[in-house]
Amino acid sequence: MMDYEFKVKTAAERVKVEDWFDYEGCKVGRGTYGHVYKARRKDGVPNPTNGRNDNRDYALKQIEGTGLSMSACREIALLRELKNPNVICLQKVFLSHNDRKVWLLFDYAEHDLWHIIKYHRAAKASKKSVMVPKGMVKSLLHQILQGIHYLHDNWVLHRDLKPANILVMGEGPERGRVKIADMGFARLFNSPLKPLADLDPVVVTFWYRAPELLLGARHYTKAIDIWAIGCIFAELLTSEPIFHCRQEDIKTSNPYHHDQLDRIFNVMGFPLEKEWEDIRKMPEHPTLLKDFKRTNYANCSLIKYMDRHKIKPESKAFLLLQKLLLMDPTKRITSEQALMDPYFNEDPVPTSDVFAGCPIPYPKREFLTDDDQVKEEKTENKMQQRPPQPQQNVQNQQQNQVHQQQQGQNQGNNGPTDPKRIRMGHPHQGQNQSGMDQNNSGHQSGHGHQGQNQGGGHTHGGSGGGYMNSGHQGHQGQGHQNHGQAGGHMHPSGNSMMQQHYHQQNQNHQNQNQNQGFGQRF
Amino acid sequence: MAGNFWQSSHCQQWIVDRQDLIRERQNDLQFMSEEEHQKILIFFCNFMQTLGEQLKLRQQVIATASVYFKRFYARNSLKCIDPLLLAPTAIFLASKVEEFGVISNSRLVTTCHQVVKSKFNYAYAQDFPYRTNHILECEFYLLENMDCCLIVYQPYRPLVHFVQDMGYEEQLLPTAWRMVNDSLRTDVCLLYPPYQIALACLMMACVVMQKDTKSWFADIGVDMEKIQEICRYILSFYDLTKNYDEKKEAQALLAKMPKPKTQPSREENKH
Ligand SMILES: Nc1ncnc2c1ncn2[C@@H]1O[C@H](COP(=O)(O)OP(=O)(O)OP(=O)(O)O)[C@@H](O)[C@H]1O
Ligand SMILES: [Mg+2]
Repeated sequence: MMDYEFKVKTAAERVKVEDWFDYEGCKVGRGTYGHVYKARRKDGVPNPTNGRNDNRDYALKQIEGTGLSMSACREIALLRELKNPNVICLQKVFLSHNDRKVWLLFDYAEHDLWHIIKYHRAAKASKKSVMVPKGMVKSLLHQILQGIHYLHDNWVLHRDLKPANILVMGEGPERGRVKIADMGFARLFNSPLKPLADLDPVVVTFWYRAPELLLGARHYTKAIDIWAIGCIFAELLTSEPIFHCRQEDIKTSNPYHHDQLDRIFNVMGFPLEKEWEDIRKMPEHPTLLKDFKRTNYANCSLIKYMDRHKIKPESKAFLLLQKLLLMDPTKRITSEQALMDPYFNEDPVPTSDVFAGCPIPYPKREFLTDDDQVKEEKTENKMQQRPPQPQQNVQNQQQNQVHQQQQGQNQGNNGPTDPKRIRMGHPHQGQNQSGMDQNNSGHQSGHGHQGQNQGGGHTHGGSGGGYMNSGHQGHQGQGHQNHGQAGGHMHPSGNSMMQQHYHQQNQNHQNQNQNQGFGQRF
Repeated sequence: MAGNFWQSSHCQQWIVDRQDLIRERQNDLQFMSEEEHQKILIFFCNFMQTLGEQLKLRQQVIATASVYFKRFYARNSLKCIDPLLLAPTAIFLASKVEEFGVISNSRLVTTCHQVVKSKFNYAYAQDFPYRTNHILECEFYLLENMDCCLIVYQPYRPLVHFVQDMGYEEQLLPTAWRMVNDSLRTDVCLLYPPYQIALACLMMACVVMQKDTKSWFADIGVDMEKIQEICRYILSFYDLTKNYDEKKEAQALLAKMPKPKTQPSREENKH
């Protein structure tokens, strides 16, 4: 029984979300665990922490369903404690007693890596360029690692790291700062009271899932988050999800996923016993032996894969990536070690504003209508990363694999000989003309120096106007890099994803600056 | 969040001042003595312990629930929410936070029924009166009242650490561990950081085991005055329970509690 007076008193003290915030019609996100709205404080409602009026944007997340689910509970419990510049900050919790809805108030992050990568892919597909500072990828990775290091240091595992959950702040005091979000699945792991795998059968999106999880590892570890960061890093460098895989039957509670493992081996090669001794102890190891033949992956390696994407094996970026994507979880680098990697000491050094003061090329979040929602719900697999639309990818992926093997066999030659290959311009080779044209054709109007950057052919070569002269020399034109990539996910234009590999023949012309980020990758 | 007690909501918001605690209690102390008040809280801690064990929850979950329970009544009168409702609610919430996996609502209510009937019939003549919707409603109030501070640091982990540091000895850990469990029946979890509670329990366990550890305690450089305060709280709990038969007194004690009023009160009969 509850006291009437107590109820009246607490109801009077309670702030209702709709009394403080305007958010109607401003839905910007729809995740598995809730709807996210862009919200503003209503006129005359001052910020309680400083008493001042504020017209900042906030993000209001209405948690799916009613009441306190276990994941809502965990999200609130953890976010309440976490305080780090690179982890999203929970400002307030609203409990709506009448409809039993739970609302979480966050700072508003205008961008996220899913949208950013999507934007680059789309630009690539339509041969447009995107202007970003050359150190952007490095800055992004650095801040992701700082956020994760903080979480891991506090014995919190994220467990659902993927581009959609890495937010980036837009204009404002925290411009260009990474915020790790979506801690719904995060859990304390210092003393798991139950084997974690028992609680949520399927958690991490398969593309970002570490091989040990796919082989039935019973416990989540820091290393699993690190693998996901490696995947995100690779995706930032290439604009392709590195372990892209057709997605189906994701609802299964069986962690073993043949196609996803196949994809990983196609990129990484099949793990040698000496590389990963404990692989024999994995619950699904017998299945692995039954289903896979090492010889099918004889020509696959991360070096070759990244080389096809013009990331040189001796580059600092590649060397770090390799340490993040080690198959053996016990050998994988920690966030702390990764933060001390020479990659971050090499010019350009990471900046706290990942956009390094340059104009932000990405569009603001659009409001979703209910129609969008319906569409989204139809096309989207629950629990899945949004990008590729499954139907297209079935084909793409198969082609991809075939192609990779062909490429593998061609290694050592001066590039692939597949007749279907299209000779595409390398960013730093003379083919930038087309890129320049595109630059000038609108998308990035106002950045006149872009063409010069391209012409310069490498990151330090640009000398054009704009912010280059004000010290941000890293602006790369990118239109030239559009080697016909179809961006199969975003554009149902039927172009094959394999074209992404075709620029390999240009690799011998690459200069040493090529790995420095989006600036050259898109 | 094991690494960061000092930045935690537990440390920053829920280590309360002793004077505040006493002041907040004054309302309830109009109806009962301080000792009776303490016995009532002990009764419900026992209830949560039994309920938790019946639900096969770990001690960590039960301990967290006990802290939630104490936090609520540190700021509210026993009148605001019937502790018989708050107790299972605290268990329910703690089990979600401590990752035990959700206890189903129906199992929780059924177990409450069983426990009241079979183990606490000396206190309650009637059946457990609440249903799922009561617990869910109560959960919102509990969460709100705790300002959403759900992560609780317990003395168990630091205790294990200290015992290891001391040089592991067979009976030391279980003895001190039991004392930590007993400490949940006092106010110390609201007043002191868990590592200090762990040290106090360890010190008492060493005394019980006749182990001379003065130099070890001197070496770790802790505020011994605080440790002794904690020891006094726990020892006074042992004193209190020495000549106390809960089975005999429970009903009379519970009858003294100020009860919630469901309807707008027409006549003020507080005094
Ligand atoms: N603070 C924020 N500012 C702006 N947009 C946000 C914010 N938080 C979330 N979003 C947007 O809403 C989407 C869903 O949010 P979030 O990832 O927290 O929900 P979720 O239901 O847990 O999603 P998931 O499907 O990844 O599990 C995000 O991908 C992002 O686009
Ligand atoms: Mg998300």
